[in-house]
Amino acid sequence: MRQASAYSKMLSGGRSGPHALPLARIKKIMKNSSEDVKMISGEAPIVFSKACELFIEELTKRAWAMTLQGKRRTMQREDVASAVITTDIFDFLINLVSDSAHDHCPAQESLPVLEP
Amino acid sequence: MEPMDIVGRTKEDASLPKATMTKIIKEMLPPDVRVARDAQDLLIECCVEFINLISSESNEVCNREEKRTIAPEHVLKALEVLGFGEYIEEVYAAYEQHRHETMDTMRSGKWSNGAEMTEEEALAEQQRMFAEARARMNGGGSAPKQSDAETQPTSNS
Repeated sequence: MRQASAYSKMLSGGRSGPHALPLARIKKIMKNSSEDVKMISGEAPIVFSKACELFIEELTKRAWAMTLQGKRRTMQREDVASAVITTDIFDFLINLVSDSAHDHCPAQESLPVLEP
Repeated sequence: MEPMDIVGRTKEDASLPKATMTKIIKEMLPPDVRVARDAQDLLIECCVEFINLISSESNEVCNREEKRTIAPEHVLKALEVLGFGEYIEEVYAAYEQHRHETMDTMRSGKWSNGAEMTEEEALAEQQRMFAEARARMNGGGSAPKQSDAETQPTSNS
């Protein structure tokens, strides 16, 4: 199809700019999210793509506010953790960031950190 | 069998591309701001977890409505339920815009007969074609497809 490449580019870009989250990857994550995930419509990942952007934006900006509070110019992991802790709707991330709130362990996020 | 399977399922199977994410993150901050590598990684993980959360909820919404496919409406409902209601408007707008753009691409492709059609004309054209196809399907066969083969289609002796 003559228009195939333009069409697929349109699909892979949730917005008109060059940066957009890849829909196939999003779909994969969706499938991993629970045991009996239903079929996913072709348009659902597009909605996710935008929602993710908004989410990242909110989290990033809140983390940035923490960085400024600490009078720094480099955003650290603990800033992201603080942003999560102070925002109600980010409660689902508490476990994810709790290990970085206490100590800095850049590797092994998947394994639970046992505190002595 | 991957070693991951033995330890138990982790959600590391798919993550979001770092380069893309880094760009998006940097776009949202003043240009002279630096983001530590581990902060970036954490942001990405949070995003993946966000997708997991919304996906699970969308799945639930879909179940409750007894549908088989997770549709955009289910995702929007999930966002609302989980407290991300303020995203809905923008998300919906982006979704509508995408549909619009997709329709435009189709319009300039094989659907066009040379003359430029407006969106309404393209939509009407599409509806007409669907109706034609439907009529062909209904009118062509002798009888509509039966739900099961218990009744004998052939004539009784």
